[in-house]
Amino acid sequence: MLKPMSVVREAIVTDMGDEADGAMAEGAAAEQATDRVKAGRKILPIVEGVVLVAALIAPLVLQDYLTVFATRVIILALFALSFDLVWGYAGIMSFGQALFFGSAGYGVALLARDLDVTNIFLVLPAGTLIGLAFALLLGGFLLLGRHPSSVIFVSLGTLTGSYAADRLARGWYYLGGQNGIPSIAPMSLGGYEFTEGPAFYYLVLGILVVVYLLCRFLVRSQFGLALAGLRENEQRIAFFGYKAQHLKAIIFTIGGAVAGLAGSLYAFHEGFVWPNMVGVVVSTQVVLYVLFGGSGTLIGAVIGAVIVEGVSFWLSDNYRDVWPIILGLLLLLVILFRPLGLISFVLGERERVGSFGAGPDRTGKEKRNAP
Amino acid sequence: MANAFVAAFEILSFGAIIVLIVLGLGIIASMMGIFNFAQGEFVLLGAYVTYLAYANGLPIWAGMVAAPFVVGALGFVLEALIIRRFYAAPIVAMLGTYALGLIIRESVRGLIGGFYLTVPEPIGGSIDIGSIHISAWRFTIIVVTLLVMAGCYLLLSRTSFGLRMRATLENPSLARASGISTPLMYGATFAFGSALAGLAGALIVPVFSLYADLGLRFLIQGFVAVMVGGVGSFIGPVAGAGVIGTLSAALPWVMAPVVADVLVFVLAIVFIKFRPQGLIAGKGV
Repeated sequence: MLKPMSVVREAIVTDMGDEADGAMAEGAAAEQATDRVKAGRKILPIVEGVVLVAALIAPLVLQDYLTVFATRVIILALFALSFDLVWGYAGIMSFGQALFFGSAGYGVALLARDLDVTNIFLVLPAGTLIGLAFALLLGGFLLLGRHPSSVIFVSLGTLTGSYAADRLARGWYYLGGQNGIPSIAPMSLGGYEFTEGPAFYYLVLGILVVVYLLCRFLVRSQFGLALAGLRENEQRIAFFGYKAQHLKAIIFTIGGAVAGLAGSLYAFHEGFVWPNMVGVVVSTQVVLYVLFGGSGTLIGAVIGAVIVEGVSFWLSDNYRDVWPIILGLLLLLVILFRPLGLISFVLGERERVGSFGAGPDRTGKEKRNAP
Repeated sequence: MANAFVAAFEILSFGAIIVLIVLGLGIIASMMGIFNFAQGEFVLLGAYVTYLAYANGLPIWAGMVAAPFVVGALGFVLEALIIRRFYAAPIVAMLGTYALGLIIRESVRGLIGGFYLTVPEPIGGSIDIGSIHISAWRFTIIVVTLLVMAGCYLLLSRTSFGLRMRATLENPSLARASGISTPLMYGATFAFGSALAGLAGALIVPVFSLYADLGLRFLIQGFVAVMVGGVGSFIGPVAGAGVIGTLSAALPWVMAPVVADVLVFVLAIVFIKFRPQGLIAGKGV
């Protein structure tokens, strides 16, 4: 089903070419924008490098309790990555990403509680598999089928799934009901136990870097090119002979697996799981991270998670009541005036799309992802 | 016999509450193509206005009359300032209205704190039929729901305002060419949908009491009801709301509540998957 790269690239370029022509007519503003795009050609690796260095030295300069907080943020950044894959690259609005995050958390919590399994090489793959399986089931059901599903149906379907899971977790005695599952034993490797602290931090950071690189490879591959085409113009990609629904289901499943990995790490780091973790609250939280940071850039998701959680942590001491209101206002402003997120202040649009394979690099201007 | 009657009344009154809440949501979704995540917060605001009237010593029914007008006016302003930018992009509209809802919900939370505030029923007591007692206020809600439903139907199907509204929403460019001010119609439709939510909030606050997550509780149920009923008409979402409301209230009588809760959603999603056009398809009123 793989088509010659040039064909698809041509399609995307044509699509974007129309946009660029329109922009040119706007004159000076467009020229400035073009300059910015040119200037920002190699920004992405710099941004990624800065974030990585900052993350590496963070535990050395932070106090202990802040390292614990930073670990949580890194795990949430991993979770945000999963949502960015699904929304930023395939244009699937998953309002229920917490379903995979939380069900994996519950799964590993049950493994630890009932079977005494805490070995890191067992629980993390198990969590990933749980996320993958749930995403495969839900994604397969919502996305596949004789008729392509509408975006509304998929987004409300995932939202409903997450809400139903929340209700189920709250009412099911085996899962601990409202209280969830407390005091989960720490993750272990041989005789060593991962408790909160620098070791856990670097473990999580290492996992994030590996997953990030895998995702980056994925979205810059032939598969990623097809996804970019899908996001820009689903019908055209379908006319090329790609099975658009299959592509979507695959990326949705991968997203679910990453969310599951993040969820199992979160469960062990916090030491407990509770119904909110599968529910709508966490589902919408991850949407906030990615919208703030900038969807479709991977690093934007990470930055968004760090900024939202960081500012929230910083403000919550003194301004606990007004912070959610400020968050809502900022979100509204970002949606209205910066639809590509904070990252678009430093990252040109050409770079956001990236280049694929060899050959002339002309992926050009790209329009706002609004299916 | 008496028990069965009480059960039937409970189911009917919960169904009426869901219908009342979905009316506004359905009108906005069907006519404008926007799934308004802030609708639950409009319900909350309606409840809050009623509470304010009560707390300041005004009669409760005065607050209930004022609520739809206050919330409708707010809806009109929000449409002109914000919602208007979202018409071409349904997903962005969801996110934008979610942000709006977050702002409203957290502001109300800041105003009332984390409390459950009770508002007494303006019509208290019960209606006694032989040995059966049913709540007078719940009975009033059923009656008002029926009246509002009939009123909306007549407004949309019989008046020239309704005709212009449907024309605008079905074919905006033709409507503009025929001399209808489409921005005004969009604003009016959104305000109308918000006002219905405000009314719903005002009427249900004596039953559920006022707390910040009041609207959120009904939002997802409302969305599911709209999709089950079918987007694109007035009747569709109302029918969907009737089905979802009745099922959610009836199933807990025959099985464990937690299973019933989840089963309603699963059934609804499966139904929508295989019948995306919903219960009542097609363009009518």
